[in-house]
Amino acid sequence: MPKIGFGLRGTLATVAVGAALLASSSSYAQTLRTNILADPAMVDPITFSELIAGDVMEGIYEAFTGIDKDGNIVPELAESWEAHDDNLGWRFTLRQGVKFHSGRDFTAKDVKWTLEQLLLPGNKGGLNVQYLDAVVGSQDVKDGKTTDLAGVTIVDDHTIDVRFDKSDVLFPIYPIWFMDSGIVEEHGADWASKASAGTGPFKFVEWNRGQNVRLAAHDDYWGNGPFVEEVNFLIVPSDDTAISMYEAGELDLIYVDAQAGRRVLRDDRFKDELNLVPAAQIQYLGMNQTQYEPFKDVRVREAVCIALDRDAMVQGLFGGAAFPLYGQITEGVAGYNPNLKPIPYDPERAKALLAEAGYPNGEGLPPIKVTSTAPRKDQLAYFANQLKTVLGMPVEVEVVERGSHIKKMNAGEVPFFPWGWTAGYPDGLYFLSDVWYGPSVYNRSRWQNDQFDTLIDQSRTTADNDARYALYQEAEQILLNDWGTCPTTVRMQVSAVKPNVQDVHLTPFRFLPFNEVKIN
Amino acid sequence: MGLYAIRRVFGLVPVLFIAVVLTFIANQFVPGDPILILLSDQSGDPVLEARLRADYGLDRPLFEQFVTYIQGIFTGDFGLSFRFANVPVIDVIKTGLLISPVLAIAALTIAVPLGIVLGTFAALRRDTLADTAVILVLVAGISIPNFAMAAFLVFLFAIKLNVVPVAGWGSFQQAVLPVVILAVPPTAYIARLSRTYMLEVLQQDYIRTARAKGLRDHLVTYRHALRNTLVPLLTTIGIIFGGLLSGTFVIETIFNIPGLGSMAIQSVFARDYPVTMAIVLLFTAFYSGINLVVDLLYGLIDPRIRFGGDAA
Repeated sequence: MPKIGFGLRGTLATVAVGAALLASSSSYAQTLRTNILADPAMVDPITFSELIAGDVMEGIYEAFTGIDKDGNIVPELAESWEAHDDNLGWRFTLRQGVKFHSGRDFTAKDVKWTLEQLLLPGNKGGLNVQYLDAVVGSQDVKDGKTTDLAGVTIVDDHTIDVRFDKSDVLFPIYPIWFMDSGIVEEHGADWASKASAGTGPFKFVEWNRGQNVRLAAHDDYWGNGPFVEEVNFLIVPSDDTAISMYEAGELDLIYVDAQAGRRVLRDDRFKDELNLVPAAQIQYLGMNQTQYEPFKDVRVREAVCIALDRDAMVQGLFGGAAFPLYGQITEGVAGYNPNLKPIPYDPERAKALLAEAGYPNGEGLPPIKVTSTAPRKDQLAYFANQLKTVLGMPVEVEVVERGSHIKKMNAGEVPFFPWGWTAGYPDGLYFLSDVWYGPSVYNRSRWQNDQFDTLIDQSRTTADNDARYALYQEAEQILLNDWGTCPTTVRMQVSAVKPNVQDVHLTPFRFLPFNEVKIN
Repeated sequence: MGLYAIRRVFGLVPVLFIAVVLTFIANQFVPGDPILILLSDQSGDPVLEARLRADYGLDRPLFEQFVTYIQGIFTGDFGLSFRFANVPVIDVIKTGLLISPVLAIAALTIAVPLGIVLGTFAALRRDTLADTAVILVLVAGISIPNFAMAAFLVFLFAIKLNVVPVAGWGSFQQAVLPVVILAVPPTAYIARLSRTYMLEVLQQDYIRTARAKGLRDHLVTYRHALRNTLVPLLTTIGIIFGGLLSGTFVIETIFNIPGLGSMAIQSVFARDYPVTMAIVLLFTAFYSGINLVVDLLYGLIDPRIRFGGDAA
């Protein structure tokens, strides 16, 4: 019977190898389960216009460049880029060997096609349209005069030229997601619910409204990973439910808002699983000088700003899930100035300044409302109470509906309001040029300073990073010295990840794509 | 009876029409312009605003919008969702369409028999310790808000004991807690009612007569007394079903169930009027539908109730 013995041993060996193979493949065949607060409003990069859709599409689509876990710009679909001699455009050398989820090759044609699709009037192009303002001929495509974007020229399959009307040195870092130009032909205009059109580490599989969005590994991904088979974004509208699901092991990774964040921060069981990173989002108390006479006096603006106790706000309003903010570029965003002087809480000086300005103990100040939307009502109450107590300023609280409030702020008609601004690309210019630059519609406080505006204009044409950051910091200092803004706090992003999940990277710009994530 | 049923079904049409009119009007008065919400940070860009208004047909007179909307309903077209880019309302709601009624009916199937059993049990043991204990439990069942009970039960069964999942939808286990929590208040309510009715019926002359005839106790209780408590109970079931449907709004949100209830909450917050209106219309239809069924059931349980043309 030795034969049988051999056979048995052989079988055992086969079983062992098989088991080992199974084990190794099952460590790969894993699903990363995480939460999103609501259904994404879309899953296509053309109409893309909100954060949750961004969280989902982050892993599906890629741009010319991305960021690494330390926030540095790294090449993604572009291997290199070079400014034209006249500084009015860029030549991009595209990465070779990149495959779309469809199996087609990524080439210059897809880049041009995506940019045109964003601009075409019937397509309801979303957030990324703003990045094409400077491109030659973009207005003509927007107006429906042509479908050909004149400023973009295909040099060869992997080289493309983009030309501008005015200089735009940050163009290579704009997060414009490129998509497969063959997708509409293959799947029709409503392809987004059926197919996946990106080059990213994960491809779109399905979206069960109200339930989940599922992504699967893209096996031909050009970069590192992916190491998990599937990403399952469960739609969990209540962060409290998400935390419970995480505790019960139904989610591997959670990202929760400030309110629910307190519960996580206070609970010792989460201590070793927490991931806390400041958001790339400025918060400020807007003081519109065109709407409230006393704000024209810099002493009044300073008095208001130093009458606020930022440390108390961090603890009282945000349960520790925030940091004090002293400038208008947040930590982790290129151009951040770590050496800014802290804004002190100095009620004595505030009172003295107000008296100097002709309003001792707030006497003579006309009544004013501090206005915002319901989620900020606690802040409003703090501001009103604090300014009344410290300065005797007659401040009342006004809670309004979001849509019409934004319209009024954009029209420069709201005198006094706490608001925020989230960076759309990883560079401090986004904050300065959108919120404080004179001609910007999002300059909701209508603060205006010629020197500041000149520095911003200069920044837009300064390609050298360090030189440009120096310009930001100079401009930021002008803004702060004039108390044109009153920085308040920065939100702390709160996330928890199970110990068996590795290489989840949370940056100020939310999560990096999950391509490096491993589950043990 | 057949004629009566047909007449009742046609009677639903004006009810649904009024529901459409009311939601349409209400949506006009809710603060928040959906177009401004879509525009978000770009509010104030007049060109974009005009284009979006035209895209969604909101630039036309209100009456015209209303007529188009009514016409659409007849062809099953509820318009485009505001919240989801280029998605018809029907696609937004179709996946969750039956979840809320299924939850409500499941809860009702538990609540009615259990409630009647508890109520009868307490009535037959009036003023004993058992009766008091049942009443105590019932009062607690009615008084504890469903979200508080949900938090407690999730903590106990999902997190501590790990026997059911915290949230989600699709498996039997995931349905257990939501259905139980939904069923508690109506169970308590039905039990209290049946206890009261039962006590009342037990005082009646015919019960005394039945007893005097020498009928056995359980025959008196179940054939004579219980049967007579069912009619007044049945009238309340329609109302209870309405309560259950609104209960799903909270329960679906807590348990992350993709039904119409949680969808309604989300669309209200997102000012997604077309979706909100469609859901209100559907809920009205469910609610009037179940009340119709209840009315028709009367005849089956109590032959004294005659319907319309069949009466004479």
